[in-house]
Amino acid sequence: MNSLFQLIARHRVLTSTIFLAIFPFVMPYEALAINILIFGLFAMGFNLLFGYMGLLSFGHAAFLGIGSYLTGIGIVHYGLPWGIAILAGVIGAAIGGLIMGFLAIRTRGIYFSMVTLALGQIVYYIFYKAESLTGGENGLRGVRVDPFNILGIPVDFLNPVVKYYIILFFVVIAIWLISRILNSPLGAVMEAIRENEKRAAACGFDVAKTKLLVFILSAGICGLAGSLRALHLSIVPIDSLHYLQSGQAVMMSILGGMGTFFGPFVGAAVMLYLEDVVTTFTKHWMAVVGLVFMFFVLFFPKGIWGTILSKLQINQDSK
Amino acid sequence: MKQKVTNQTRRKMLIGGAAAASTPLWLNVANAQADTIKIGFPTPLTGPFSAEAQDQVKAAELAIKEFNDAGGFNGRKAELLVRDDKLNPGEAATRTLELIEKDKVNYLVGSLSAATQLSINAVCKERKVLFNSISQSDAINEAKDWSVYTFHESLNPTMTAGAVARYSIPRYGKKIVFLTADYAYGHEMVRAFERAGKELGATTLADIRHPLGASDYSAFLPRIKALNPDILVLCNFGRDLVNAAKQCTDFGLKSSMKIVTPVLLYTARLAGGPEAFEGILGGTGYYWGLEDRIPTAKAFNDAFRKMYNGSVPSDYGALGYAGIKSVLASIKIAKSTETMKVVSAMENLKYDWYKGPEYYRKCDHQAVQTVIIVESKSKNMKDKYDVFNILTIEPTTEKNMRSCAELGHKA
Repeated sequence: MNSLFQLIARHRVLTSTIFLAIFPFVMPYEALAINILIFGLFAMGFNLLFGYMGLLSFGHAAFLGIGSYLTGIGIVHYGLPWGIAILAGVIGAAIGGLIMGFLAIRTRGIYFSMVTLALGQIVYYIFYKAESLTGGENGLRGVRVDPFNILGIPVDFLNPVVKYYIILFFVVIAIWLISRILNSPLGAVMEAIRENEKRAAACGFDVAKTKLLVFILSAGICGLAGSLRALHLSIVPIDSLHYLQSGQAVMMSILGGMGTFFGPFVGAAVMLYLEDVVTTFTKHWMAVVGLVFMFFVLFFPKGIWGTILSKLQINQDSK
Repeated sequence: MKQKVTNQTRRKMLIGGAAAASTPLWLNVANAQADTIKIGFPTPLTGPFSAEAQDQVKAAELAIKEFNDAGGFNGRKAELLVRDDKLNPGEAATRTLELIEKDKVNYLVGSLSAATQLSINAVCKERKVLFNSISQSDAINEAKDWSVYTFHESLNPTMTAGAVARYSIPRYGKKIVFLTADYAYGHEMVRAFERAGKELGATTLADIRHPLGASDYSAFLPRIKALNPDILVLCNFGRDLVNAAKQCTDFGLKSSMKIVTPVLLYTARLAGGPEAFEGILGGTGYYWGLEDRIPTAKAFNDAFRKMYNGSVPSDYGALGYAGIKSVLASIKIAKSTETMKVVSAMENLKYDWYKGPEYYRKCDHQAVQTVIIVESKSKNMKDKYDVFNILTIEPTTEKNMRSCAELGHKA
């Protein structure tokens, strides 16, 4: 039995893909499943920096928002094909990550968090004020994907199931990329920095460069999540850039298990699902979700997924 | 070697995924024809507008009940599916997708902010679902956002701010200062007030902008005093309006200028109390006090009182009622629940649900209706619901609205 789990853990990209492929059928509706997919990816991208390298950023909504807005603006104002628009969103977010990372990695601990928070707010106001491009308070509307063909088969993006699998395609690519990064020497250096920055430097690793590189990668992945969100909702709301959105990534990572591969995704799923179900019953959903969050933080310090992994005694290398 | 194997597996997975993506179209075809007529109703049950939203739901339930008590449509009853959009456009879009894709609603009515209604509209428009918006916005009628499935039951800033300008400028003077919450809706209000003011020869001395959700207005007050306008227009809402009104009163601005606000909400006035709002006048879509002169208002109030222990409907509540009524009445006229037939029935609808005759303008589906100018009371109030004096009712004609050409509609 245990060896089965070990096997699953070893092929984490494959198993996550299989899980995600059947996921929409266990969810109440596809739009929620897609939201979980997108926020799961957002949290995974964030976790790369937070869970694996120990840098707590409060500005990651900036990348979600930049990705969303650049994709949206590309489609709405410049009529770009949606594939190119996604690329624009990812590259834009990565460039945003380069700039923000360059300024933020000089600081440490709480100062790092504060700098990222401040820079995130700057990005918020830039997009908020660029009303002619972004729609300001009203958000950007009209992000639509016209029906297209894949190998001669007509694909209707408005069909929720089709939309789910198209978005899943991009998410799986990102998951594979994250897995590759973590399995590479870079991944090992990241964890070394998290455990002891000075020692990692003493071993001859370029700490500053690694931090910057991971910041950029993390930003690009969060940007992809944002791009997909713009296509999914067909609007870009200004609160994509709000700092509460950054907070959500932190909460999802902690709830699911920071520093685990699939944990942030589990956190996103639990939070969004809970919120969705509870709000249909009571308007006091915040109290219920808050209590559940407190319960898990108090009794499962490793997060939901982290606890499951340690109970199954899956070894640390392939968690 | 091992790497190569997993690469192949991955490729197989992707091909499998693509194949799966193209097949499950049939999954959604089942249960297309449900028994009840379902109306989705996204509104911010939580957040700063929850009081207004809950009133919308109450009044909407009343409209549903009246329809069902009257036998429904060919025996089919109507059903309201309320969803909390949390005043968040992203959440509103998700909830709208849920209502359309999972609950298979026939139509949507609802929303309570410019941003959420625009996002709901964007989703409905793409999926060709009828949406009757019950919140104020100017943008929703513009050709860029509008679609044939979009209806706007509510007043819009051009109508309300315009009516307030037309009432107040001839009476109080032509020098205007705006104190504006710095966001889209505040800007729309200023634009609409200035538009109406220009024809009356008004001049803007300053448009002072404050961040949304500001609690301290004292920094602006000396400047307003020094500018010495005839009219101070407060283009902000909810708590911002309450705070601004309070501080303007304390600072003694009312002795030298008239304070007006484009939208004077019943609920905000209840929350703010009589002192803060004393003498402030504004526009509104509905006030229960209309019952003295309009029979349908009386009937609506009485039905609402009966259902909800003697309380009276608010302005936004009335919109919830009318929004649902219009759709359900159009089904009966169209003798069909088919969206396009209901759309054309609504286009030709002449109705009087609660405030006098109304109809939807053909080109942009904006409800043409009256604007009620009210002044806040501070003395001789009969009970806690008695908060406004009705000063006048401006019968809105299409000439007071932005023309269809101006909105970008052809023909």
